[in-house]
Amino acid sequence: MADEGHSHRRSGRLIELLTNVDRRIIFLVIALAVALPLLFPLNLPVRPSREATAYFEALEALDPGDVIIFSFDYEPDTMAELDPMSLATLRHAFRKDLRVIALTNYPGGPGIALRNLEQAATEYGKQPGTDYVFLGYNPDYSATMLRMGESIQATFPTDHSQTPTAEIPLLQEANSYADIPLLVTVTASALAEYWIIWAGGKYGQKIITGNTAIQAVLIYPYYQTGQLAGFLGGLKGAAEYEKLLELPGTGILGMDAQSMAHLLIVLFILLGNVGFFLQRRAARNGGAN
Amino acid sequence: MKKTGPVILGFLVGILMLVQYFTPNAWIEARYNNVLDWKQVVFGMTLILGVVSLFLYHWRKISRRQSGWGYSVVTIGGLLFMIFAALIWSPEAGPYRWMFDYVQAPMQATMFALLAFYVASASYRAFRARGFHAALLLTAGVIVMLGRVPLGELIGVRIGETHISLATISSWILDYPNLAAKRGVMIGVGLGMTATAIKIIVGIERTYLGRGA
Amino acid sequence: MHELSTHPVWHAPPHRGDRRTCQKALSAAAPPRAMVLLGMGRQNALRLLGMGLWISTALLAAPRAEPTPAPEAGAPIECRLDVRDAPNDKGTALEICWRAPADSADITVYAIERRDPETGDWQPVGTVSPAVAARDPQGGFRHQDRRAIEPNRTYAYRLAVVRSGARGAPPETLHTAAATGVARAQWFNHDRLPAAIAVLLFSASLLLFIRWARGGRDLFIRRIAGLEAVDEAVGRATEMGRPVLYSPGLDPMEEVATVASVNILGQVARKCGEYETRLIMPNRDAIVMTVAQEVVREAYTEIGRPDLYDPNDIYYTTQSQFGYAAAVCGTMMRERPATNFFIGHFYAESLILAETGNATGAIQIAGTDSDSQLPFFITACDYTLIGEELYAGSVYLSREPLLLGALKGQDAAKAVILALLLGGTILMLAGVDIRPLLG
Repeated sequence: MADEGHSHRRSGRLIELLTNVDRRIIFLVIALAVALPLLFPLNLPVRPSREATAYFEALEALDPGDVIIFSFDYEPDTMAELDPMSLATLRHAFRKDLRVIALTNYPGGPGIALRNLEQAATEYGKQPGTDYVFLGYNPDYSATMLRMGESIQATFPTDHSQTPTAEIPLLQEANSYADIPLLVTVTASALAEYWIIWAGGKYGQKIITGNTAIQAVLIYPYYQTGQLAGFLGGLKGAAEYEKLLELPGTGILGMDAQSMAHLLIVLFILLGNVGFFLQRRAARNGGAN
Repeated sequence: MKKTGPVILGFLVGILMLVQYFTPNAWIEARYNNVLDWKQVVFGMTLILGVVSLFLYHWRKISRRQSGWGYSVVTIGGLLFMIFAALIWSPEAGPYRWMFDYVQAPMQATMFALLAFYVASASYRAFRARGFHAALLLTAGVIVMLGRVPLGELIGVRIGETHISLATISSWILDYPNLAAKRGVMIGVGLGMTATAIKIIVGIERTYLGRGA
Repeated sequence: MHELSTHPVWHAPPHRGDRRTCQKALSAAAPPRAMVLLGMGRQNALRLLGMGLWISTALLAAPRAEPTPAPEAGAPIECRLDVRDAPNDKGTALEICWRAPADSADITVYAIERRDPETGDWQPVGTVSPAVAARDPQGGFRHQDRRAIEPNRTYAYRLAVVRSGARGAPPETLHTAAATGVARAQWFNHDRLPAAIAVLLFSASLLLFIRWARGGRDLFIRRIAGLEAVDEAVGRATEMGRPVLYSPGLDPMEEVATVASVNILGQVARKCGEYETRLIMPNRDAIVMTVAQEVVREAYTEIGRPDLYDPNDIYYTTQSQFGYAAAVCGTMMRERPATNFFIGHFYAESLILAETGNATGAIQIAGTDSDSQLPFFITACDYTLIGEELYAGSVYLSREPLLLGALKGQDAAKAVILALLLGGTILMLAGVDIRPLLG
């Protein structure tokens, strides 16, 4: 009888342990799961998905001298996830001698755009005005996207450094979507959807997009229907793209950490469920007794 | 007139925006561009409105010495510092850029990073196989979670020439069951949007004028 | 004036926009891809409605490829050039069309030039690779010229069929052809006829149901659990002597989720007023804040308690997504609201908000049409309005006939779309291909 009571108490403690792990412990374990692989990489293999390959090929298919639009549609909050894909895309573009018209639809975007543009341009010896231009931030993304289909110069009378866009050689050649074979948007919000609807749907602009993992799920249908030529989903997408480019960056570096974090979350879910089943069995047995 | 004027204006602009989608006429296109220009002007004004509201809200807190007024001093201080730093130096260099790179960016990135911790704690707490449907959801969730990272590529079986990994199953789940459900929601949301637009154009929906239902 | 055989036209950069619109024009005669339409974005969902109408309209609307005579083997290199008005535009584009010659093996490029109406000089328009022909089952080429074309003016074009010389020899022009054309402005974009008909039918359906609802017809609306709980949620805050927090999401006022949220806010504010419970509302958009202030003030006035209204409780925070999340979470931690409403369109911050609310022990009611955020709200909140339930929310609470009628009109349109989806699926499964009927 005493043994039975002891066993009940022990199983009760186990259930308590499994079902009520303090959230601070969970936080600590996740922090370690992310930090340790960054310090001691496991070098897990990265295999490019078809979406990332399509993204890569959309840029690869362009000819040197072609002009693309690159919209930095994110703020510093998501830069850890999105900066790797922005930088890799710009490196790809400059490596192929494409010219880039950059802009942002967020007030917090110019700092990010400038940092990425300057870094990639320096690496490939590209000059502002002729090889790339940063138009800056324009209030109201819907009006901006629609108006650019008519005239980029009218939408942005000056670029970010206040140079009149009418005087910028690059914009004299490419002044609307009709002159742009590809538009890239890297975003953490629904702006990818808006580009697809307004620039793609209304003006027939070909679009590829880089997204946070959570937003990637949202734009999946557009890729399947061909409204989107390719996309990168989260840090994994960035890693796949880096792999295709053979330019390893922080995307590939982050894959080990992400794998470990996902694995731990799955383990926590399993632990919780084991506790839940034990609890249910104990309740059933208790009821039967 | 206070409400009739905006409703008439809304009707005219709404009809213009609708008609322009169906006609390539140059005159209508020019008016459409006018509306887009005005839209940007109005949006710019809302940013000013927001800043003024923020300033007044925190100013009141400071002047009344309400609890936590010290934080309001930091808010207003930060706001004024960034405005003047951008005006005196430039947003591309100097103190503004420094504050952006080393204060604003890490703080915002930290907020986003919290998501990893919250996803872990919420999944652990709520993801329980309470019944058949919940178990199905749980299984799909686990497969997608592992299938979306390189680890998922390594876990799988080889059947003949084909390697079926968690990544393959995860792609199937995302491509078919997930998309089917998503499209259902999207169609409903699309119709809701169109219905709201029509209601605003004909003046049935007037919430934007500040009248609750 | 340049001679075509000496003009290095094959070096002229191809005009990308032209190439794309050219492809579009070539594919315009292709059947509409039903599955593509099914996957259109939410704003484009109406096209689904138009799909059913396509059969009846496509024959009238879609430009059709003219039948092409099969080229004879061994025929001389010869092209017939045709310059046509580009359809569905404001008269600023011309389409240069020609057919591939029978023996096109040696052709390396087709070069197009246009005569400047002012100076009479021939200027390069673009080059087309013969490989493009593979994309057109008719073996034809189309190239759109959209550079500085004025409506109702005649433009002359010429086409050079060029073969590159062997081992550094100069390129050779095999054949030239010339034609003229005039661009005309159109009043209606025929490509969008199905969408126009769908909009008209959908509007008619909405107005019809609104009329029925106004006429007193009983229109059923099912129970929405999350909204049934509004009373209980506000009551709990009252009992605990703590405020209610309301977040309208991150989208601006023009978005339907925000419109629906502000409508529900009116009802929640009325309840808060009745129970004399403080309502706090941090905003990310200044216009939404202004509208919300007005809505709450009117709600308090309607129940005879305008004195309860404090504009300081409905305030602006920041445009930044996670700055906003930080502000709302901070408010939750400091003010400890007993009830949280997250009603509107949310993004990745949804779980941060809901988990913080969960940690403070608040009862939480969420509602969003953001499908990627629904799992988080369902996990961390007590009640969640899913997708259209959010839009139906204000109707459910107010039973306003105008809004109820509109909701029913949407249902009718959805039924039509469902029928089309089912019909299309059955036809596909039965192996019946109706695409040839669509042009």
